[in-house]
Amino acid sequence: MADSIEQGIKDIIADVAGVETEDIGPDTNLTKDLDIDSIKAIEITVAIEKKFKVSVRDEDVPKIMTLQQAVSLVRQLVAQKQAASA
Amino acid sequence: MYDAVIIGAGIGGLVCGCTLAKAGMKVLIVEQHSRPGGYCTSFRRGKYLFDAGPHCFGSYREGGQMRRVLEDLGLSQSMELYRPDPCDTIITPQRTFSFWNNHRRTIEELHEFFPHEGEQLRAFFRFLTDAKLEAFVQLRRLTFRELLDRYFGDRLLKDLLALPLVAIGGLPPSKMSACVGAQFYTEFILDGGYIPAGGMQHLSDTLADRFRALGGALLLSRKVDKISVREKTAVGVNIDREGFVPAKFIVSNGDARQTFLALLSTDDMDPEFLMSLRGMQPSLSSFLLYLGMDEGYHPPFLPGTVHYHFAATDPEMAYSSILHDDIRSGRWYAIRSSTDSKALYVEMLTTYQDEEYWRRNKDQIMDSVIAKIEAEAVPGVSRHIRHREAATPATLHRYTLNYQGASYGWAGTPEQTIVPGLRKPSFIKNLYLVGHWTTLAVGISGVAYIGHDTAKTLAKRRKCIFPQISA
Repeated sequence: MADSIEQGIKDIIADVAGVETEDIGPDTNLTKDLDIDSIKAIEITVAIEKKFKVSVRDEDVPKIMTLQQAVSLVRQLVAQKQAASA
Repeated sequence: MYDAVIIGAGIGGLVCGCTLAKAGMKVLIVEQHSRPGGYCTSFRRGKYLFDAGPHCFGSYREGGQMRRVLEDLGLSQSMELYRPDPCDTIITPQRTFSFWNNHRRTIEELHEFFPHEGEQLRAFFRFLTDAKLEAFVQLRRLTFRELLDRYFGDRLLKDLLALPLVAIGGLPPSKMSACVGAQFYTEFILDGGYIPAGGMQHLSDTLADRFRALGGALLLSRKVDKISVREKTAVGVNIDREGFVPAKFIVSNGDARQTFLALLSTDDMDPEFLMSLRGMQPSLSSFLLYLGMDEGYHPPFLPGTVHYHFAATDPEMAYSSILHDDIRSGRWYAIRSSTDSKALYVEMLTTYQDEEYWRRNKDQIMDSVIAKIEAEAVPGVSRHIRHREAATPATLHRYTLNYQGASYGWAGTPEQTIVPGLRKPSFIKNLYLVGHWTTLAVGISGVAYIGHDTAKTLAKRRKCIFPQISA
């Protein structure tokens, strides 16, 4: 599960940023290294929300600045969702 | 063998083509119309030159989307631009106000009407011009109504600020995405109104000339009737009277439904994506009246400025009237004189009806619109009209193949703002879409941005997928 979340987010970021997945490391900064602007930031956020069927809270938006941050946030949201439905 | 074939020579396709050609790629653009530009074309009738659709673009401030694209293509000095001041004037029974080139003046004017909202007006405009990336992302589920509610208490002020979005975005604040509305404001209203000398065709021709000079091939009056897909990879297109043309990348600047439902086979499609595509709603279309005026005509307002006349101040009512009332009752319209005052334009948003409906009603609608502007906006106008004609949603569809003649691609609701897969479907490799059917970027500057951005992605991808090709 963990690997599929990481790969899924990597694919989304690569698609939107127009780079290959190999170019994205855990600490690659979305705005500084990949030129993510506000339109692409929304594209990434919405694609993540749709793919993992989660909802990113407003206060968590600034936390998606690197792949690693995005992965840990989505893991947390997926876990919360699973706990809620268990 | 082309590196890329682009379907459609709208601004998105032209910018994409120029950017790819500049990166050293061999590119073909195929356009069904006899001239490039999509909605940004102009046509001549005797001594009159009319812009078929939009007359200006936005986002040309230092660092604006459109300026960045034109600078990158070496075209920022190629056009003479005129910017009327104000760009837009909103006229309602209760208030008239303008969007001036200097925002401070606009804020001051509104502040005079609404003395208790001064601080909030400044904060709202600041948000529109300087919003941080996160703040923008946080808007993604909100409507423009909810955004206005965060700033203002005064209902009339909120209505007035929402009216221009009904006119230029085709949705009331309760339905329009806050992101889309904010973009319209930032790129189109607060930084809009750049009119190219020689009409909008001049913008399209400048891009087309640049494309050819960079080695690109532009094929006009030819229709792509199929995108060929082998093993889930787009491999070329079929062009009428030309046959199969192979390419490494296919970029569609056409209508999204046309691309997915007509040019691709159902077997190539992801069923879930297809279902969501079929459920999506297009934006409204327009009825456009083009009037050629004699030398005795002097516009009673600044040439180039768009005047939006609303019969009521409630934007929800204005929208509902567009949907349900006969267009002849015209509860709102936009009127503008060309910069040389020879042409007068009236635009009304409307729903789609078939060709037959417009054939039967077009003349009568023209009569009633002229009578209306004579009574409300331009006294004595009918005495000065030497040429008149109109474009209907059916005309817009015929020339551009935009679904139902939609003016802005999909309706800009929060649900339709970002649909993953519309720019680059995951189920077909090497196929990309650009233009106003892809994502939330709005207006001409928005499609220029998407075309440019997609081309930069493709240029990077090509090096990875086809390393044997040198630039």
